[in-house]
Amino acid sequence: MKSIPNSIHPVQLYLYSHDITSPPFLIKLFISKPKAVYQPRNENEILEILNYARDNRLNVIPRGAGTSGYGGVLPYSPYNSIIIDFFRMKEFEIDEKQKILIAEPGVVWWDVERELNKVGLSLRVYPTSAPASTIAGWISAGGYGVGSLRYGGIAENVERLRIADFSGVRETEDIHLFSGLHGTTGIITKAWIKLKEYEEYNAVAFHVSIDEAVKLVENWKNYIYSAFFLSSEYITAKNQVFRDDVQYEVPEKDTLVIVGVENSKQLLNLSNLKIGNPQLGEHLWDLRFYSMRVKRLGPTLIISEVILPYNSIPEYVKKMKKMGAMIEIWFNKNNVTSLSFFLADERKVGYTLAWRKSIKAMKLAYSLGGKAYSTGLYLAHHSPKVIEEYYELLNYKKKIDPLNLLNYGKVFPKGRLPTLMKIAELIS
Amino acid sequence: MRDDTLFKELEKEIFICAQCNFCRICPVYYEEGWESSSPRGRIYLLKGILKREIKFEEIEGIVQDFFKCTTCGICEVVCQTSIPLIEIWEKAREVFVKRKGPLKAHERIRNSALKNGNPYGEELNKRDEWFKQLSENFEIKKAELVYFAGCTASYRMNEIAKSVVSILNKAGVDFSYAGRDEYCCGSPFLRTGQRDLAIEFFKKNYREWRKRGVKKILTSCSGCFRTIKKDYPVIAKELGYAWNFEVIHVSQLLLELINEKKLKVRKKKLKATYHDPCHLGRHMGIYEEPRRVLELSGIELIEMEDNKERSLCCGAGGGVKSQFKDLAMKIGKKRVAQAENIGVKMIISSCPFCKLHLKQASEGKLEVIDLVELIDKFS
Ligand code: SF4
Ligand code: SF4
Repeated sequence: MKSIPNSIHPVQLYLYSHDITSPPFLIKLFISKPKAVYQPRNENEILEILNYARDNRLNVIPRGAGTSGYGGVLPYSPYNSIIIDFFRMKEFEIDEKQKILIAEPGVVWWDVERELNKVGLSLRVYPTSAPASTIAGWISAGGYGVGSLRYGGIAENVERLRIADFSGVRETEDIHLFSGLHGTTGIITKAWIKLKEYEEYNAVAFHVSIDEAVKLVENWKNYIYSAFFLSSEYITAKNQVFRDDVQYEVPEKDTLVIVGVENSKQLLNLSNLKIGNPQLGEHLWDLRFYSMRVKRLGPTLIISEVILPYNSIPEYVKKMKKMGAMIEIWFNKNNVTSLSFFLADERKVGYTLAWRKSIKAMKLAYSLGGKAYSTGLYLAHHSPKVIEEYYELLNYKKKIDPLNLLNYGKVFPKGRLPTLMKIAELIS
Repeated sequence: MRDDTLFKELEKEIFICAQCNFCRICPVYYEEGWESSSPRGRIYLLKGILKREIKFEEIEGIVQDFFKCTTCGICEVVCQTSIPLIEIWEKAREVFVKRKGPLKAHERIRNSALKNGNPYGEELNKRDEWFKQLSENFEIKKAELVYFAGCTASYRMNEIAKSVVSILNKAGVDFSYAGRDEYCCGSPFLRTGQRDLAIEFFKKNYREWRKRGVKKILTSCSGCFRTIKKDYPVIAKELGYAWNFEVIHVSQLLLELINEKKLKVRKKKLKATYHDPCHLGRHMGIYEEPRRVLELSGIELIEMEDNKERSLCCGAGGGVKSQFKDLAMKIGKKRVAQAENIGVKMIISSCPFCKLHLKQASEGKLEVIDLVELIDKFS
């Protein structure tokens, strides 16, 4: 164990005890520091860490880039834990013939894309955190991303996984046992990801209402690669923070961006509306990774991320607008991912109350047939509603992890936090 | 006044960080792999101090990671929330130095500079030896343009300073040179949290320029260029000094002289790559001038995979070379490998410090030359 790169410096441990959220005081009480951070270099070292954790009854928290917002990588207090950081496992190969990427867990999505493009290939789907997030991180958090309109969620694009748990290592095509489960059912040591031919994309923007946007995407679904919608309020905020970087201000209207492989003209014809703006489309597409730039207006950003069926988006958007949310919607094959942003200031009293907005947003989504995007720690009590086959997975978890050491309290609710969260939801 | 007043000034920016880790492309984090040496980790550390979740006493044993930063600025280019990260690194280092004192090597260069006006431990009266060695006997005149050679070209990379003088001479440009009255610009101290010393050097240089009636300052070092053009006006304002000097980098002057046909360059058939010095490129936005000069000299420029705004740092800046030699060398070797990958035999840069470091990192495998030396040869 000693030979595995590790750190126990209290400040280093502090630096590994966060994700992208700034939780309010009451939730922070449930977040501690790990006992140590390990950076294994290979699978054997992962197994060594697992054995050590079992012998010492320590929870094992796998951590990618820590860019998720569900607390999935946080040390859950008061339980003792160690963190596995996959920084030193970032080798990958490209099987050009089979169009498959074979990657270690710590590989960053955008590093892969850069190499793939050189050989005429491309990722089918990637998260909007792709410049930083890791292969295993996104698979474990689950969900949808850019390209999910054509190719579905990440789970549908993983062919095989190699998994380490307390009984050793094995390969599996049962992706649902691991994707979206935040490492609670095993540690991903390798992943086989489906790829596609490289394509040049054209993006076109349309100033349309959310009702029209949904109709248009439904009509074009089979011809395009990706589509997203930005609310006028969100664009107004973006204009304030991108002022120094870009030449022109984006019209402050609700905007749909369609991304396809056809040339812009074909896309424009397809619309029959003749109002598409390719220049604006390209601009907004180029900024797709920078959704949190508006944090400059905060300095804190509270984000609510939910999944909704197509038919309830208009109502959801209208109600969220009334709540003062800035909205970004990504269209997936059979549903959408909606992100609502609220500005706040974590330094001020009353910040805890601001978090209630995100709870309200989630409750609204449920009332419209939607659900939380992911579970992790904060929303573990939602798992039975969010995860299909939850009880089958729970049984699987009990079988492979009888001591419940794999990311304790995440996805499968345990401890006191779920009760607190339920109360918060009741009073929101 | 609390010691961390500087942190307070930066508080809003520190809280703006989204912890997104887009800045993970930091060349230091890439080598080290720990949050404490990543831009995100450093910001989170500062946030922890501001929130009083971390005490100053606790950073012992980890604070050195805060100094493992070459101030290359690529984190700022990719930052999701557009935080002025370099300013934050420098100000935070100042606080850490106040609290804990400078790191060993940084203290060494401080003592040396206090004594001799340069960080290399060389004697002050040898600063102008390179100038005296020039075959032509240049007369130091009173001129509006002063050539500021800087410490690295004066003591380590003489050929660069000599080439500048040769070019000025060929183009018939009047210039003055402060010789032993030239002091370190202060860049190494600004970057390592020792701003007080940089202010002292500012005063000495300023006095000299005023005495000589200087209007324009020419530098061949990218570090000096950034410091004199960007930091000196700020210091001048703080001290209540008037600042009306024009500051130019030699790559800009070369282009001007060639365009105005004051300098004739014989076109050479040569394949090479150009390394953007961080303090010239990302810090000052000068990417095109050196490239245009190379183009006008007939050089076939082949770009490395990371170039211009996304250029990879040579690894030496920000006090990293003096305190963390191995780390600096690892980054330098990575940059050299990028040049090898595109099949060139020559790296051209525009900074004596980059040249010094890349030359060491290349271990003789590639020729490393400064733009001004090359143009001097061809003109
Ligand atoms: S300035 Fe360069 S070395 Fe320093 S933190 Fe930013 S990217 Fe890293
Ligand atoms: S890129 Fe900017 S916002 Fe993101 S973690 Fe780095 S410093 Fe923070």
